[in-house]
Amino acid sequence: MVQSTASVILRDIRKSFGAMEVIKGIDLVVEAGEFCVFVGPSGCGKSTLLRLISGLEETTSGVIEIGGRDVTDAEPSARGIAMVFQSYALYPHLTVRDNIGFGLSLAKLPKDTIRAKVAAAAEALQLTPLLDRKPKALSGGQRQRVAIGRAIVRDPQVFLFDEPLSNLDAALRAQMRIELSDLHRKLGATMIYVTHDQVEAMTMADKIVVLNGGRIEQVGSPMELYNAPVSPFVAGFIGSPKMNLYDGKAAGEACATYGIRPEHLRLTADSPRWTGTVRHVERLGADTIVYLDVPGLGEMVVRADGEQFPRVGSSCGVAPLPGREFRFGPAA
Amino acid sequence: MSLRRNMARQRNIGIVALIFASVIFILPFVYIFLMAVKTKQEAALFLFSWPQQWQFWQNLVDVVKTRNYMLLLAYFNSTVITVGAVAMLVIFGAMVGYVLQRRPSGWNRVIYGCILIGLMVPPAVVPTIWVLQGLGLFKSIYGMILIQVAYGLAFSVLLYRSFISTIPRDLDEAAIIDGATPWQVFFRVILPLLKPVTVTLIVVQSIAIFNDFTNPLYYLPGKENVTVQLTLFNFQSQFQSQFNLLFMNILLVTIPPLLVFIFFNRQIVAGMTAGAVKG
Repeated sequence: MVQSTASVILRDIRKSFGAMEVIKGIDLVVEAGEFCVFVGPSGCGKSTLLRLISGLEETTSGVIEIGGRDVTDAEPSARGIAMVFQSYALYPHLTVRDNIGFGLSLAKLPKDTIRAKVAAAAEALQLTPLLDRKPKALSGGQRQRVAIGRAIVRDPQVFLFDEPLSNLDAALRAQMRIELSDLHRKLGATMIYVTHDQVEAMTMADKIVVLNGGRIEQVGSPMELYNAPVSPFVAGFIGSPKMNLYDGKAAGEACATYGIRPEHLRLTADSPRWTGTVRHVERLGADTIVYLDVPGLGEMVVRADGEQFPRVGSSCGVAPLPGREFRFGPAA
Repeated sequence: MSLRRNMARQRNIGIVALIFASVIFILPFVYIFLMAVKTKQEAALFLFSWPQQWQFWQNLVDVVKTRNYMLLLAYFNSTVITVGAVAMLVIFGAMVGYVLQRRPSGWNRVIYGCILIGLMVPPAVVPTIWVLQGLGLFKSIYGMILIQVAYGLAFSVLLYRSFISTIPRDLDEAAIIDGATPWQVFFRVILPLLKPVTVTLIVVQSIAIFNDFTNPLYYLPGKENVTVQLTLFNFQSQFQSQFNLLFMNILLVTIPPLLVFIFFNRQIVAGMTAGAVKG
């Protein structure tokens, strides 16, 4: 069950709602078969960008190409895309079978073809025993799979996912991440995935697009973004816990912003660079997250190994690992 | 101890409430039925009494045969008007409600204004008749259907609009992505989901239109155009009234709305609570 696949090219895409410009000129190439994740804080325009690609919103200016074809003015159904919504958007009055086959029955395909395609999709997603149920009799994860099944049967060249996992609980989310990655490998189709969760972006993406305020902040593979963020924004967004970011002057550096990741700091007693008071300690088993108050800098988060438990209120020295510091921008 | 006393008290209150409700709702029916089976002389006494002589079948035949089976014609006319008007109310109410809710525009305020006017301003009879005459629809069943649609549309639009706002827009968009045209989005996705409101609307409006007395009286004169409520005039006149037949007529006219209510009762309750709790 290998699908046809296509590249998606955006050229200077802009979108305004009234006087407000939400997407401020985006150029992007998503290669055929790539798993591309749009990530950013809420209101950064990532969902709007996805809706522009799907055709649910019209672009104000710019060109969208899917598979080398200009689809800027094409109807959503003529773009060769399928979309999975955050709310799943299953038709409540139809059974799972009819939900998956809805698009095919609109296309007036023969009944046998529809039956066979729905059966194949249901088989691939382990939905066969549930085909005659209504959506309200399904669990969250099952509804999610039905929504994916509805996308698969249409043989789209590009799959669009709009925060599909945000309504699931943490355990199910981890499982669905793996299932989606498997699906991507199996189908080989282009997938564009919107999320505000950097863990989903890091774990599933071939290419991450970090958006901020309607513009692309940085594009790259997960490890590129982790190892070489171009701006404090990307640095703070990728990685968990967040990177510690300080004003360059306060940190004693010749740059505008100085950053160091919690995992690249170590607690040390001899010749520490900074000394702070332990405010809070989170024990995660494998790691211990230590929150320090450093005079002159403010809060500093350190990811120490699981054996270290500094006492709250005690004083602690910290040193950065060499070569792991980030310096952004010239000094003001 | 006090718990048991409390339960006993609750049960007694329940029984009293039931008795009270049956007096209000069932006694009038019993009275109509008893009057309908009496002889003419006995019915003229207007007593709530057991009939001395049962004339159920005889009265029934008399009522049906009166004025050359006028009641059957009336049933036919009323059914046509009710079915036609309710069908249009459902389709147009849902369509207008859908567009109003989903596509905000500068016209919406104007349309809301019209809807509120439709709800609040009492219809003026004589100008309406002028309009009907101008259109050649006066004294016709079609005219009567349109009148009933016009009177009921505002209410039905409001009802549908508020319910449609509870249907997530994602569903429309999912259907559009699936390749549905706007008509298909409406008829295959939205309209089926409106079933709870539709049932409520069908029951409320069909009972109101079937039982309507004044509007057919004004807008639908003529022997051929009689509706069920107007047949009640057959047995009531200035000099002679046959109350046993009048009540038999009332009984027959009451049955269809009663059937509608009994059949749809469960769905009305389901419709009123639908969407109250996330499914």
